[in-house]
Amino acid sequence: MGEGMGTSRREFMKWVSAGGITLSLSRLAAAEQVAFPVRETLPGRGKLNPAIGGAGRVDGVAKVTGSKLYASDFRANDLPGWPEKTSHAILVRAPDATHVYLGMDLARLSGALKPTVIVTAADLARINTRVPAYYEGDLFCPIGKTPLYMGQPVALLIFETFDVYDRARIALRDGTFVQFGEETGPIVMPNYAAYRFTRVAGATPDAPDVYSPVLAGWVTPGRTQASALPVWSSTAHKNEAGYEKAAVYGDQIRAEIAASESSALVLDRTFDTQSVDPMFMEPECGLGWYSAKDKALELVLGVQSPYEAAESIAFLLGETKASFKPSAINAQFAYVGGGFGGRDHTPFIFYVTLAAIFFPDRPVRLAHDRYQQFQAGIKRHAIKMRSRMSVDRASGKITAFAADHVLDGGGLANFSANVATCAATAAIGIYDVPKVDVTTVAEHTRGVTAGSMRGYGSLQTMTALEVLIDEAALALKLDPIDFRRRNALKQDGRTMTGNPYIVSVRSLEVLDKLEQHPIWQRRAAEKARAASGVLVGTGVACVTKDYGTGGDSSNGRVELGPDGRIAIFCDHVEMGNGIGTALASRVALHLGGIADEVAVSQVGVFDALELVTSGDCYTMDQKTQDKAEKDPRWVPSISSATSASIGAHVGTHAAAEAARVIFRFGLWPAALALWNIGPRDPRAKDFAKVQWKDGQLTMAGLPSLPLAKLAATAHARNLVTGAVAHGFSRWAWARARFPINGEQYRAEIDGLALRRGAGKFTRINRSSVLFPPTDNNRMGTAYTAACGATVRVEIEKATGALRIAKAYTAFECGQALVPEVVIGQAQGGFAMGVGYALLETLPPFEGGPGNGQWNLGQYLVARGSDLSLRDVEIELMPPLTPDELPKGMAEVVMIPIVPALLNAIHDAIGHRFAALPVTPAMLKGALA
Amino acid sequence: MTTLGITINGQVHAPTEVRDDLSMNDFLREYLGMTGTKFGCGAAQCLSCVVIVDEPDGTCHTNPTCVTSAASFHGKTIRTVEGHAKNGELSPLQKAFIRHFAFQCGYCTAGFLNEGQVLLEQLARTPVPRAGLEERIAEALDGHLCRCTGYFKYHEAVLDVILSDAKRYLIQEPRG
Repeated sequence: MGEGMGTSRREFMKWVSAGGITLSLSRLAAAEQVAFPVRETLPGRGKLNPAIGGAGRVDGVAKVTGSKLYASDFRANDLPGWPEKTSHAILVRAPDATHVYLGMDLARLSGALKPTVIVTAADLARINTRVPAYYEGDLFCPIGKTPLYMGQPVALLIFETFDVYDRARIALRDGTFVQFGEETGPIVMPNYAAYRFTRVAGATPDAPDVYSPVLAGWVTPGRTQASALPVWSSTAHKNEAGYEKAAVYGDQIRAEIAASESSALVLDRTFDTQSVDPMFMEPECGLGWYSAKDKALELVLGVQSPYEAAESIAFLLGETKASFKPSAINAQFAYVGGGFGGRDHTPFIFYVTLAAIFFPDRPVRLAHDRYQQFQAGIKRHAIKMRSRMSVDRASGKITAFAADHVLDGGGLANFSANVATCAATAAIGIYDVPKVDVTTVAEHTRGVTAGSMRGYGSLQTMTALEVLIDEAALALKLDPIDFRRRNALKQDGRTMTGNPYIVSVRSLEVLDKLEQHPIWQRRAAEKARAASGVLVGTGVACVTKDYGTGGDSSNGRVELGPDGRIAIFCDHVEMGNGIGTALASRVALHLGGIADEVAVSQVGVFDALELVTSGDCYTMDQKTQDKAEKDPRWVPSISSATSASIGAHVGTHAAAEAARVIFRFGLWPAALALWNIGPRDPRAKDFAKVQWKDGQLTMAGLPSLPLAKLAATAHARNLVTGAVAHGFSRWAWARARFPINGEQYRAEIDGLALRRGAGKFTRINRSSVLFPPTDNNRMGTAYTAACGATVRVEIEKATGALRIAKAYTAFECGQALVPEVVIGQAQGGFAMGVGYALLETLPPFEGGPGNGQWNLGQYLVARGSDLSLRDVEIELMPPLTPDELPKGMAEVVMIPIVPALLNAIHDAIGHRFAALPVTPAMLKGALA
Repeated sequence: MTTLGITINGQVHAPTEVRDDLSMNDFLREYLGMTGTKFGCGAAQCLSCVVIVDEPDGTCHTNPTCVTSAASFHGKTIRTVEGHAKNGELSPLQKAFIRHFAFQCGYCTAGFLNEGQVLLEQLARTPVPRAGLEERIAEALDGHLCRCTGYFKYHEAVLDVILSDAKRYLIQEPRG
């Protein structure tokens, strides 16, 4: 392959898991890439920002030439040191979860089609595998039990050759060979999570809150109740002081809303959202090879959470019988063909592992087809919501809001608890509401597992809210944008959990933009001039979305060669979000040149930091953190999963900080030496005054210095030429001081190792570390990005066919590292939002995807013709200040178009839909 | 079993015995290791798997490979994503895809590239007026699914290639 993409296979992270298995991870290099010159491979080289001048993304050439990049592209013979031949496995799943599983009738696989190996629940019991707590539930449904959920695996069938596998999968396609007996009804399991978020603001905006989650902690009703759904009343929890207090305030808020009906506008509405599939383009896939002789397990995977995947696999095998227990696991992570959250903590990795372990010495490939991906891939939660809102008629101010959410979590817990809390804390959107009470419960059901997916709960609750807001504005005869403006949260206002945001709050600016846009301005005129047989309507919506998880880690390593070549290594995964390109841009701000090598999905190159961790960064108490941080190598979390929304903010942070250190202690002293500026010269401290221009370091009155010359000098003088950094954010970055060259260097990182000249990396002991307080875990979020949309629709009376006539979206994301990628994500979010509002839906349970019969024929996603591509305008707002940090925005951009479309439909036909999606048939029905 | 002889990206592949029910997608990916052609849905709905088929009369069209048997390609000449660049030089459409940030994850790129290339060659053969160009591009690409970028930039990239060589692809309107 071209060296430009950076094979970076040279180092691996190694550590030993609790089960005594040595783990190592690395990024899977492209096995085969057309040999293009390096400068083609990294088209942005020499420019400060690879996006400037349309030079493209760092993985551009590989992706347009069909290079092997994705997990599904690799076979054993592509991988150095692996045996030549690849065997193939079929993961058989149960299409039923209300009857007892009796086993498989494999009579149709007779003779040559017989599987070489069959793996079932009994085999896992025999070798003693363990399931990590996060994935709790049988990996295979045992014979005699009712499956826990539709699509639960029952067996792996392994075939030695592709040909036999291919014939067998054709023979098994109808799924009827999985047999069931007596009807039992679905398995009943406890809810995954239940929380209540209640806030009562003080009498004035400046006064402290009377009660809030930040003040009192998060509350959850006890698990002592026998009812299917929690009983939220305060009287039901007399013995739980924390809960009872929240419930008393919450009940009061609800009583006040009910009592205000005579004087205020009170709306009490339900809204239901549907289950959808992320429908990333590459079905999940993996390759494994267990060498029994060496007791070494090799894996090729494509997930958003490499570190977690490796740890979970080690746990799975940690106590297996000797002949099935590897002493070492090496996992290689490939590019992913889309993720949208659906590849974060996916259980698919276990089945790849088991296929390899049960067919030792033969590489085995396990790949979902699209039916299986629909049957088992992680879904978006369907949510049933009931919302009540009271608005003072005189002021047009929302005085109180209460809501109850029930989420269908499907068969496994996955991220249900997190999605439930995220959905609940997003339920008041951009608004400042003094009294809020929201309950949420995520249920186990027999449906396909729901988990992390773009929009993550907020999409559902903010859609319901923005439709409710529209109805309230109309009922009050207020302009919908003016009504939103009156109620919008200002910069210092408090969120539902009782904390202010720590980043810019720009929803008012977004509202201004929406108001001024011709789509909004011309709404009456366009309605009036609608063609015969066509109804025209315009809608608007504005939302704000959290990003980050409140426990985000960033690992980055930057190396500068004596010739000025820059190499960057990062632990986050490239999902198409352009993180490689963003890294190159952010590092270039400090080092003046675009990297020659950018390696993502790295877990192997940060060893010099010698980091250790303990506890759970989300739940630990302050005392535990205070004690743990005394070890200068301890951090609350080493590596976290990648989501596109945190890519810019978190993924690039550590590499940017590493580059900053190299500049400060490498290139800057080199520049001083070249300029003959001595240490006592006042200019010796002017490092903030220099600028990079066309690859040259410039300072007024001094000759410009090219990067290569500075790098050579830094190497010759044994200055800092490489840095590895770690950052941790719990709604604020951890900070620490590091002694470098007799100076206490302060930065927003908690781990640092430096290389001088061509030497080795050495860890620098930090001092005065300041981790964000553990109480920050009580915040719902402190990072947010705003986005608004206005849309005009045309609906044919006769057919209900809807056309998007014009649409406009405005959003902000702080400093856009690669504006083209940001715009691309916004456009993709718009498309996904349109699909969610108008097209996509999966029925729960028996008729749904768990039956294994779903594909793109029934499941409709937005195509180009659904989007009126030329009539969609997307505006990326400039950062508030030139130095505003990047914000995560990949999630927010799909949200406002959904309620904006519903509001436009209402404007057009006078009917307000309270469930998604709104299809032409439903529109036709409403028009009849 | 059927004998399959095929020319791929200009290279003649010696006749191979293949099962009648082997898909073309699996032939490319599993037998030849040419994984640039993707597998998306197996139902010809996403079109990430299409290849270009060159007909003897000089015309070309795309064909899905996931639902089509390998045997049905016997005697045909096809092009895949691996064959667009020549001598280390990317095709104008490949360059435009990169320049326009047309893709993100890139999994649908091979399909869009093949479809876009077929459109370019059709237009080179039968130029169209400038007026209907956007609709023509939209029609050509519409069957292809992309989940990351919402199609906008693919369309812009194809439009850019056509407009930057307008004499080749568009009917030249008389001036005045």
